[in-house]
Amino acid sequence: MLRNRRDEITKGINDIVGEHGIISVRILNHSGVIKFSSNEAEINKHISRTDELCTNCHYKKESESIYPANTAYSSHFHRDSNLIYTSLPIYNSPTCYNADCHESANNNIAMNNSLPKSVHDSSQTILGFIEMKVSAKKIMADLNRTRIELITLTIVIALLAAGISYISITLLVGRPVKKMVEGMQRVAEGNFNEEIPPGKGELGFLATSFNLMQKKLSSAQTRLIESAKLASIGKLANEIANEINNPLTGIIIYVESLINRSNDEEERRDLELILSQAMQIRDNVRNIFSGNVEKKPRFTTVDIMAIVRHVVSVLGNLSNFKSIQTNISTHNDLPAILADPEMIEQAIFALFLAFSEDMPTGGLLDVNAEYIEKDKKIQIKFMDTGNAIPENEWLVLTEEKGELPTTGTSKIGLTLFVFKQIIELHRGKIAFESRKEEGKLVVVLLPA
Amino acid sequence: MMPKSVKILVIDEHEIILKSISRALRSSQEILYDVTTTNTAIEGLKLVRNNIYDLVLIDAFLSGMSARETVRRIKNISPLTRVVYMYGHTSGNEIVEYMETGDGILLKPFNTEEIKSTISRILIA
Repeated sequence: MLRNRRDEITKGINDIVGEHGIISVRILNHSGVIKFSSNEAEINKHISRTDELCTNCHYKKESESIYPANTAYSSHFHRDSNLIYTSLPIYNSPTCYNADCHESANNNIAMNNSLPKSVHDSSQTILGFIEMKVSAKKIMADLNRTRIELITLTIVIALLAAGISYISITLLVGRPVKKMVEGMQRVAEGNFNEEIPPGKGELGFLATSFNLMQKKLSSAQTRLIESAKLASIGKLANEIANEINNPLTGIIIYVESLINRSNDEEERRDLELILSQAMQIRDNVRNIFSGNVEKKPRFTTVDIMAIVRHVVSVLGNLSNFKSIQTNISTHNDLPAILADPEMIEQAIFALFLAFSEDMPTGGLLDVNAEYIEKDKKIQIKFMDTGNAIPENEWLVLTEEKGELPTTGTSKIGLTLFVFKQIIELHRGKIAFESRKEEGKLVVVLLPA
Repeated sequence: MMPKSVKILVIDEHEIILKSISRALRSSQEILYDVTTTNTAIEGLKLVRNNIYDLVLIDAFLSGMSARETVRRIKNISPLTRVVYMYGHTSGNEIVEYMETGDGILLKPFNTEEIKSTISRILIA
């Protein structure tokens, strides 16, 4: 417009009409003359000052004007015609009234004296208006279409995102979790053989942990089955022993009674033979059924000093034991105790053997037993005149749950350690004293 | 000191055990053993309620009420009565528990001397 290219302006106006619901476009000067229009018939026509375009300012106070200073445009909606009227004021500015095109226009004016001398006066505020009539229906249709497109696009994106997430979750989480669930079901059914393929990341770590747990469960189950078998065998053995022991008690007591009442020497001898055979059966039953099903003490009534004497008599045949003087004494009558005779015998045997090796040139082995009535316990003191217990081992032995290593420990240390364990299995207590000059003292307390 | 007269109750499901113990103890010259026998724990408890026994010999493996429960009730009814379990199994698994709840254990099969020595040891203690 500044260059006064009227054809281009007319073409531009015609081009935009029909686009985006624009029905018509026209450009008016401030006097109300239509200078350009998409409707050629109305060019140079004059619009009334009562037209809404004019009354917006001219019949309102300035404060009520729809074009307060430098307003860019104004729109208003005609509900009846369903049209939107948009008007843009063309403000005057130095670039308008000082532009070259105006000078050339002025030159033309100068050449043609019939035309006024100037186009725009710098005192003018508004030069004119661009007014567009837009179809509200078309805009609303466009808006609706855009909204539908947006909604459709959102749904498509959401579906795509959901699909991608579903595939990702299925591949990365769902399948490994499904395999893990199947693995758990297999384990629940008692099948520990198939492993879950280990993957990557946290689920992979979980699968590895699960496989490890499965291996441990399998191993535990195997051990459990073995234990159950052993326990069943042990239980069966116990029940059989009980079934034999009940009638055997009757046989023993009745035979004893018959022996006491019999006056016939031959009959007594026969009965005593029956009794000795019955006692033999008792011993056999105990030996058979107290076999090594479990490594626990097999309790029976035991005369512990008889075991001590038996061990001494056996060891007496050894050459290095012959130079050792033995002294076995009891303070008072000792009751029988409940103990595993085999275990006790082995422990005392090992103890005396270790003592004897500590006294290679001879010495004294003293065993003294006493029944402590108020505590219902038998106290046995085992003493020798051999070497002292190595101090570090003695310290471990005196601890309540001290354990000596199997390598690097002296023979006497290991023997005393095993001896202590056997005594504790019999609910007994043990104490050690060790002096360089006076040898060793082992004090045992066993419940009577 | 061992009393001259001892009142004993024997609880065992095996008739041979009841008869054998009665025979073994009644043959004693030095001490008068008054032996009562029963083959059920319930009957045994009734007898303990109505009589004063010095000692009860009870089979460790009773069907029905367990021996340990029976012993617990006997001790509630008559705290001074001594109780000895008769144990016919060979396993040491449970024997420690019996040693803790009773006053003694008599391992089956036993002979006359073992019964008498066990009774006197328990009663003197």
